[in-house]
Amino acid sequence: MIEVIAGGRWTTIQDRGRPGLERFGIPPGGAADWFAARIANELVGNLPDAAMLECTATGPTLRFDIDRIVAVTGGQVDSAADWQAVRVARGSSLAIGMIAPGLRTYVAVRGGIDVPVVLGSRSFCQLGTFGGGFGRPLAAGDRLPIGRMFGHELVVEPWPPSHRLPLQGPWEVHVIAGPQIDAFTGDALERLAATACRVTPEIDRMGLRLKSPGLRLQSQEILTVPMTAGAIQVTPSGGLIVLHVDHQTTGGYPVIATVVGADLALLAQARPGDTVRFRAVDPAEAARAARRLTDWLHPES
Amino acid sequence: MPPYTTSRASRVDEMWRIAPAGDRALLITIGTVIDPALLGQVLALDRALQDQRPRGLLSTVPAYASLLCRFDPGVTDVARLADAVRQFKGAEEVSIPSTPVVEIPTRYDGPDLPEVALKTLLTPAGLIELHAGREYLVYCVGFAPGFTYCGALPDEIAVPRLASPRLRVPAGSIGIAGRQTGIYAVESPGGWNLIGRTALRLFDPSADPSTRFKPGDRLRFVPIP
Repeated sequence: MIEVIAGGRWTTIQDRGRPGLERFGIPPGGAADWFAARIANELVGNLPDAAMLECTATGPTLRFDIDRIVAVTGGQVDSAADWQAVRVARGSSLAIGMIAPGLRTYVAVRGGIDVPVVLGSRSFCQLGTFGGGFGRPLAAGDRLPIGRMFGHELVVEPWPPSHRLPLQGPWEVHVIAGPQIDAFTGDALERLAATACRVTPEIDRMGLRLKSPGLRLQSQEILTVPMTAGAIQVTPSGGLIVLHVDHQTTGGYPVIATVVGADLALLAQARPGDTVRFRAVDPAEAARAARRLTDWLHPES
Repeated sequence: MPPYTTSRASRVDEMWRIAPAGDRALLITIGTVIDPALLGQVLALDRALQDQRPRGLLSTVPAYASLLCRFDPGVTDVARLADAVRQFKGAEEVSIPSTPVVEIPTRYDGPDLPEVALKTLLTPAGLIELHAGREYLVYCVGFAPGFTYCGALPDEIAVPRLASPRLRVPAGSIGIAGRQTGIYAVESPGGWNLIGRTALRLFDPSADPSTRFKPGDRLRFVPIP
């Protein structure tokens, strides 16, 4: 059992989410920085589906009532477990503290956090206020049971810095045109790609609102269509909203381009004030970018 | 003849547009208006894809006149899946299976009812009569868990969305926007004009299915005091 001494700013239990239920209005959810989360499980020897803590801006303080192997990845924190599996002794505490650079930090415990599975996942769903064990972010006094979802031995070495994603902007993310690119004038995507967009304070797991100085994109509402994580919606006033893992499943603003799945990990670490540049690629180039990360995870293949 | 049958399938088929929605999904857009015939096509294509699942297809999301297909990029790609989808063009049954009309007990006391009545030059009673006086088709479950999009509203009570959305709309709220009416299944932000509410629970994460409605279902609002 792990006891939460302090909940931190916004700490939730996340795994790989529940994709496939969008037809019920349920977002896929799961760890916002899928790559850091995947490595955290890898380091402690967990199965890829094991649940962990996703910490935001300021992490929690946890007390362990049993010896446990822990790894911390993602946004940088001052911890011996930073990108490395370490043993936390029974009775001792782990304080995650301030996260910087980056915004989200993942705390994986060998065996996984064993809260009940709801609709196929242990992830907290904010829109539906269910899952994540408590149907809310963690708070002081919560007790987290530990499961047995390990698949292999822990990784002894720290995760190599060469195989981590950047934690600071300016961010360059790959996008694929569409699906509603036709709703815009011919050069709209080139103009978007030439614009240094700025992350506003309005960011959460549902999406990020960006400012695009000097860029004026014309758009109007369209008939409600399904949405995906990474969709760059253009509002009638010309604002940009990039949907993230807890996104609304349908929407009525046209989507000029969609951030590729791999790069959602980058946007998960973006902070207000950061610069984001979109680079339009074709599906083949997007596949190569995704493969680079999977090769880091499985160097043998 | 079953309701919502269309004989315009071949004509509407020509309007299909298939576009990538990122590197793991493609969107098939069948039309751009609220039309039961278009929903019929979407649901028929959805059923056909579930029955004869093309390689790499993971799941689908239907909405009004479009269908999203999520795929495994390790198994297929946009071009191959688009080819597979095109083979269903024109081959599908387009009538919406008939289901019983579900009654929604509705207390018409929404905060925007007086304002909507003013805008539409109706008395509140007249507005309620128009809203409750017809059967609606469920066009989509989306936005937030269980949110139920229905149509089409009579033109007389079609009003634009609120200028600025509410941050919190309580679960069970019934709203209208344009020619749509909808039921908020969970508390969420929302920009629709709220005219009533129901105690009916439309989303329950512990139930199977988790939502009360699916596209193609039919419902009617029944005023209660």
